Amino acid sequence: MKINRRDFLKVSGKVGGGLMISLSLPMYGKIGETTKEGVEIPFNKFISIDPNGEITIMLTKHEMGQGTGTSIPTIIADELDADWNKVKIKQIEYSPDYTWHEMGTTGGSGSISRTWDAVRNAGATAKQLLVQAASQRWNVDAVAMEVSNSFITNLVTGEKLEYGELAEAASKLPVPEEVILKTHEEYVYIGKPIKNRITKEVVSGQSRYGLDMDMPDLVYASIEKCPIYKGKLKSYDDSEARQIEGVLDIFPIGFSDEIKSSLNPTLGYVNEGVVIVAKSTWIAFKARKALIVEWDGLENGARSIESLNADMRALKDAPEHLTMDLGNIGPSFSSTQNETMSMEYDNPYQAHALMEPLNATADYREDKCEIWVGTQDAEQTIGEVAKAMEISTDKVIVHNLKSGGSFGRRYHADTSIEAAFVSRKMQKPVKVIWTREDEVRNDHFQPYLKNYLRAAISPENEVVAIENKAMATVEYVTWTEKWEHYYAFPNIRCHRSMVPTVLHEGAWRSVGEHSAALSKECFIDELALKLNKDPLDYRMELLSREVDWGDPKDFPDWAVDFMIPRKKLLRERQVEVLSYAKKHGLWNKTTEPGKGIGFAMANFGPTVCAEIAEVSMDEEFGFKVDKVTAIVHCGMVINPHIGKGQIEGSIIWALSAVKYGGMEVENGKVQRSNFHDNKVLRMDELPEIEVIFIESQERPCGLGEPGTPPLAPAVLNAIYDASGLRVRKIPVLEEDLNTFFNSVAMT
Amino acid sequence: MANYTLEINNNSYSVDVTPDTPLLWVLRDVLKLYGTKYGCGIAQCGACTVHINGLPMRSCSIPIEKVNGQSIRTIEGLSDTADHPVQLAWEEVDVPQCGYCQSGQIMSAVALLERNPNPSDEEINRAMKGNICRCGTYARIRSAIKTAAKNMES
Repeated sequence: MKINRRDFLKVSGKVGGGLMISLSLPMYGKIGETTKEGVEIPFNKFISIDPNGEITIMLTKHEMGQGTGTSIPTIIADELDADWNKVKIKQIEYSPDYTWHEMGTTGGSGSISRTWDAVRNAGATAKQLLVQAASQRWNVDAVAMEVSNSFITNLVTGEKLEYGELAEAASKLPVPEEVILKTHEEYVYIGKPIKNRITKEVVSGQSRYGLDMDMPDLVYASIEKCPIYKGKLKSYDDSEARQIEGVLDIFPIGFSDEIKSSLNPTLGYVNEGVVIVAKSTWIAFKARKALIVEWDGLENGARSIESLNADMRALKDAPEHLTMDLGNIGPSFSSTQNETMSMEYDNPYQAHALMEPLNATADYREDKCEIWVGTQDAEQTIGEVAKAMEISTDKVIVHNLKSGGSFGRRYHADTSIEAAFVSRKMQKPVKVIWTREDEVRNDHFQPYLKNYLRAAISPENEVVAIENKAMATVEYVTWTEKWEHYYAFPNIRCHRSMVPTVLHEGAWRSVGEHSAALSKECFIDELALKLNKDPLDYRMELLSREVDWGDPKDFPDWAVDFMIPRKKLLRERQVEVLSYAKKHGLWNKTTEPGKGIGFAMANFGPTVCAEIAEVSMDEEFGFKVDKVTAIVHCGMVINPHIGKGQIEGSIIWALSAVKYGGMEVENGKVQRSNFHDNKVLRMDELPEIEVIFIESQERPCGLGEPGTPPLAPAVLNAIYDASGLRVRKIPVLEEDLNTFFNSVAMT
Repeated sequence: MANYTLEINNNSYSVDVTPDTPLLWVLRDVLKLYGTKYGCGIAQCGACTVHINGLPMRSCSIPIEKVNGQSIRTIEGLSDTADHPVQLAWEEVDVPQCGYCQSGQIMSAVALLERNPNPSDEEINRAMKGNICRCGTYARIRSAIKTAAKNMES
């Protein structure tokens, strides 16, 4: 397809001279697409070059620790041949100049892959315009010039011009019909360990997050929230709390049924509660303790993890929704010749425990509502706040601030709605601060998933059929939740049943892939050992055949184009990481007692990540992960330093879930509250981590999430190897491993 | 409310707050020293670590009445231009991801190196395990501490 570049790229001058490049960025990065559902995709200002040579790259993505605030500008600077020291990165705020998808979402490990084509084009266009301007000035051909580090050199005369000197002239030129993008060998910054641009500010203590927001007349609010999902505020007594010096006001928060029904049930959900507004954060926190509040838990008020499990088990034989049906599993399971192996796996709720507790600051006066918040989705936030406040979206302004970790939780608009609500009532700027306890108890948790897997094994020692029944609480069901098997068995059937959740749910680093990987990758390990095969060899054997993915009509229209090629790509990458592990001797079984090794592999988007976990049984801690080796195929790596950090972080994130994750719930209430009982990994538990990126020149894919899904199954498989104990759930508790230590003690 | 005199980063401040107000909220809400972060409020995560008389302490759990007149150092007081050897080492290794916990990590690391200029892995773990990082930058924190130790020695 020939893309008309004028449709997605615009060149203009700047006030005071200079060059501005604007881009129209559609969802999924299909550049050249100019409308979506009849709405024109606007141009977002992306690159400016000032007469003094300063290059500003606008950051439209939310910086939350994933590093795209450095990586995307790196790509632009490379194509532009800019001097990295002259590049400034400016976090832009949500405005009509920056809209549509571009400011919609930061997540799904998609920031780089979705902008890759467009931002390279933008950088290369700016460079070509500057070259053209130089060519006109010197009246020499472009081939007689050399471009490097923000300078253009006239090879005939030896004269040099800096980009700033050419910016104004370049801004008057038309968008070139075509630009030539660099080849892999020509990259200067891409593929290099460029340092994160936020570091200096962070180490000096000057980095500002949502929670650091300040302004004149600011008051502070904290909300005693209903501890039960969908529960209601019944009554409250604030007489004692009102006596506390510095308390400014106390009132309930809640919305009419009509407003509630207009809000997105997940992203716009706000707990009912009692708001304390005070002169300081501390006074607001303190006054909450003096409140006496009664809640009505409604239907969730009687539920628990035990009752949720019972609900799931009750549905085991009544599967609701067929998600994959290949061949016919029936005869394989009914044949008396075949042996059946059945297992149950549990992957429970997980809390986020973001370092920066949730917050938002709002100034709602007259009919304008201004919000300062770290959000992964400014556009949704504006929409949800507008609905909750019953005003139009153009009255809501969101300033997107850096956040102290998001991991999916900061998609939700709850804190922004709360801040808008309280500010409207107070007619003052208000900062709403969640305590750590709020953050744990009222988190939007990773959904609970239970899987029943069974396999029919023939007398020839082959798996002839496999069935996977998923019992899911997940509310945001989309086609991506389609339960599939990438290993080619002759007969496969997958189904999913839905059970109402007891806790509010949301996205959690790697979402459904983390949930799904545990049962799939543990069961395959169990099958390999049952068949007396090496787990890696067995996977390789199954991947040597292609799965028939069936009728693409099951996919939504927009997914058909890329789903089948995507699945082919994943299989190629899975084979590649497996081969790498074998070839480089990373898979070394040990015979040392109490030590074991485990393998698992998963994908997130087009990135495939395999992990090898090495564990030791340890009387004091149950088990200890000594080393994790990650083999990652994500196409080209834009920044190996930041990329490695993301994989390390994902491993530590997932290992926290393996050791301490899950969530106890009684009478609808979360039983943990802070880091003493909702534990996360600390430095003294850090395993050695090795990250290997498969060499590739393919287009870059995401790295923020793919390291998470394979970790839990790799560790569980390693624990089996070390102890002979098969744990089919996380977290792995001391009691799960007791029999090992008891038997060791006896021998 | 009561009046307290605080010696912070070699400056003297006078604040009027209730005696039970944690130092953290005085630093942040009253003195607007936002480098010190709120993470848990119960001395479990280390994000609010400051030095009191040279020792690393969790400012979220120390009432202001307990530190009246004592010498307090926050991340802002480490250096004028972020050139304390530990800050430089953090830059050299390029530790932060989201960066939120790093003020606390740096303050704990500075205190460690002040009393033990050449810590072993074991000693680093012991001194740093009170500081949580959810992005998982632990390996780089450890490496930065060693870099700082080396640079401070030479």
